[in-house]
Amino acid sequence: MATATVPATKVPAAPGSAVPARRRGRVGANVLLVLRILAANPLTLAGFIVVVIVSVAALLIAIVPAVSLLILGHSVSVLPYPALDAGAFLPGQAPSAAHLFGTDASGADVFSNVATALPTDLGIGFSVAGISLIIGTLLGLVAGFWDAPGSLSGLASTSIMRITDIFLSFPTLVLALAITAAWGRGEIQSELAVIVTWWPFYVRLTRGEVLSIKVQPYVIAARAAGVSESRILFRHVVRNLLEPLAVYFSLDVGTVIVTYSTISYVGVGVPPSIPEWGNLMYSYQDSLLTQPWTVLSVTAAIFITVLGFSLLGDGLRDILDPRSRRILASTAVAGTGGERP
Amino acid sequence: MPESLLKVEHLTVDYAVGAGTFRALNDVSLELAPGRVVGVVGETGCGKSTLGHSIPRLLPEPPAKVKTGKIIFQGTDLMRLPKWRMPGVRGTGIGMIFQEPINSLNPAYRVGDQIAESVRIRKLREHGLTPRVKPDVKGFDYSKRELPKAADVVTGPFIPPNVSQTLKTRSPPMTKEIHAEVLDFLRLVRINDPERITNLFPHELSGGMRQRIMIAMALSGKPALLIADEPTSALDVTIQAQVLTLMKELMEEVRTSILFISHDLGVIAEMADDVGVMYAGHMVEFGPVAEIFESPRHPYTKALLRSIPNKYKDEGVLPSLSGSVPNLSKLPDGCTFNPRCPLARDVCRKKPEPPLATLPPGPLGQVHKSACFFPEEVPTMP
Repeated sequence: MATATVPATKVPAAPGSAVPARRRGRVGANVLLVLRILAANPLTLAGFIVVVIVSVAALLIAIVPAVSLLILGHSVSVLPYPALDAGAFLPGQAPSAAHLFGTDASGADVFSNVATALPTDLGIGFSVAGISLIIGTLLGLVAGFWDAPGSLSGLASTSIMRITDIFLSFPTLVLALAITAAWGRGEIQSELAVIVTWWPFYVRLTRGEVLSIKVQPYVIAARAAGVSESRILFRHVVRNLLEPLAVYFSLDVGTVIVTYSTISYVGVGVPPSIPEWGNLMYSYQDSLLTQPWTVLSVTAAIFITVLGFSLLGDGLRDILDPRSRRILASTAVAGTGGERP
Repeated sequence: MPESLLKVEHLTVDYAVGAGTFRALNDVSLELAPGRVVGVVGETGCGKSTLGHSIPRLLPEPPAKVKTGKIIFQGTDLMRLPKWRMPGVRGTGIGMIFQEPINSLNPAYRVGDQIAESVRIRKLREHGLTPRVKPDVKGFDYSKRELPKAADVVTGPFIPPNVSQTLKTRSPPMTKEIHAEVLDFLRLVRINDPERITNLFPHELSGGMRQRIMIAMALSGKPALLIADEPTSALDVTIQAQVLTLMKELMEEVRTSILFISHDLGVIAEMADDVGVMYAGHMVEFGPVAEIFESPRHPYTKALLRSIPNKYKDEGVLPSLSGSVPNLSKLPDGCTFNPRCPLARDVCRKKPEPPLATLPPGPLGQVHKSACFFPEEVPTMP
């Protein structure tokens, strides 16, 4: 290099410059930024806390019995009582210290029922939204990136979009109900039914974003720098898709939980022997007036979980977008000048 | 004249818009010798950028469609290469700087990583690790002031990628090497604390800084030909001056061949050796800058030159050219320029303009080409 006359001196770390960030490592710096943004947005923070608590609780409820069975030889639950244990207690007790959400008409502990259903519902939310995300995003990437009319890829793109349109034209819930009814009752069948109605939304979202991203000057500039098409797609386009997808996914987990509960409620979801919020709602509906705490507990569980994911989803955009990230972080630590140079 | 690095021959590009099409480039020819800087000047919509984008085949197809023409780069007609081989030409063969520095950097990545990507692409090609590139391709040695051999990056045989070697180049020592080069290129474009800048996101930089980064990115591929598509148009005047000074200095240091596209005659006069004047998709005049500025032989060039304000004397109202650039989908009959041309006569309204023809040497003793029926009358144009 003919002109590299400036020696590579270490620039003294000015307060708020990015040099300390490098020393801390990028991961550490990013975690710190995320925490600052969360601290500055109470609603996002609330959503984040709900999602973390709900997820950790679901993991504990699902894993501890199995692991303890493996290690101790007998199953230990984190819940006070077994679920759906009819006749264990005096039926119809109001909430008390012994039974946080009271007991239901069959004499089972409502809190244990609702909590046991948590891993099932959350798992369904994540798996249905997750599988739809993967299928829909891959199809959407193909349909959006290689859509030149008249070519073979353009034909593939058009076919994907027309099939997507057909699926989108059905009302989601009705289609899911019809498919579950046709395939028979069962957890896997009903989940697949929801996935079948769910993926087209991701195709639409992804394709739209890809269409707008791929004509951005920075994509052209990357192409001009000799970057191959596949690398442009997976590095430059996908990275800019992450924000809308993550936001949509987070909101979607909640929507799936509500939809799936509805399917179970009308009786085509998981079998009644498995505790699930829709199932519980169905079995408690007769005691709405006599034992309101039963229905209210299930409703509250669904409401809080879905609200948590929605609030987190709204704040995710700020966390994932580097443009707003540092600005938000700098306003969060007002007075220090933040991370901006 | 030495062997040409780039030769554009009879390039015609159409855009399909709605039901109709319009011709953005009409039979444009251009020649660029190694080490020369060729300017392309013209009004908005005359096809300058289309020309710049069509050389590395970056035009969006559709709507654009190259009808005819050859783009001969280092002896290879790029138009006849399959599309999937084009990335092997871009970056290391033909680099490009764009008009909008604001959007030409990916907002999601730190600028250091973006320059590193282009350094890495070149390194892989230099080591013969990426397909589509002949293994003995020499990068353009920027420290030695010599011109690149017409490095044959495109006609080489297809070499399958050596995966284990490719992976090795991503391992830490190579990454360190790339990082060092990134810093070198940032210093080359006069960025003071490159260590800090590499860690910033594009939105944290000013327009001028971003354009410097873009220049660094384009140069880090060490291209044999650099296409600068209005690199200063989106910047304000002081930053424009800084970037131009930088580019001028870099031209001395780097001595790469440049196709410089601009609407600013002053910039072209300062930067370019040769200049091509474009009007409504046609190249109307082409030749050495000094000669064309001294004695233009196309009425459009003459009119353009007259409309530059003179800062030393008050001329009152600047002379301007009546009419405006024609709609490309409804070009006038005959010579495209005839409705605005003070010299127009019957033949101009009936026959399409002649091809660029070489004229006898002008006052400075150099030859240039003009696409006018009556080039000898231009000096006396009212």
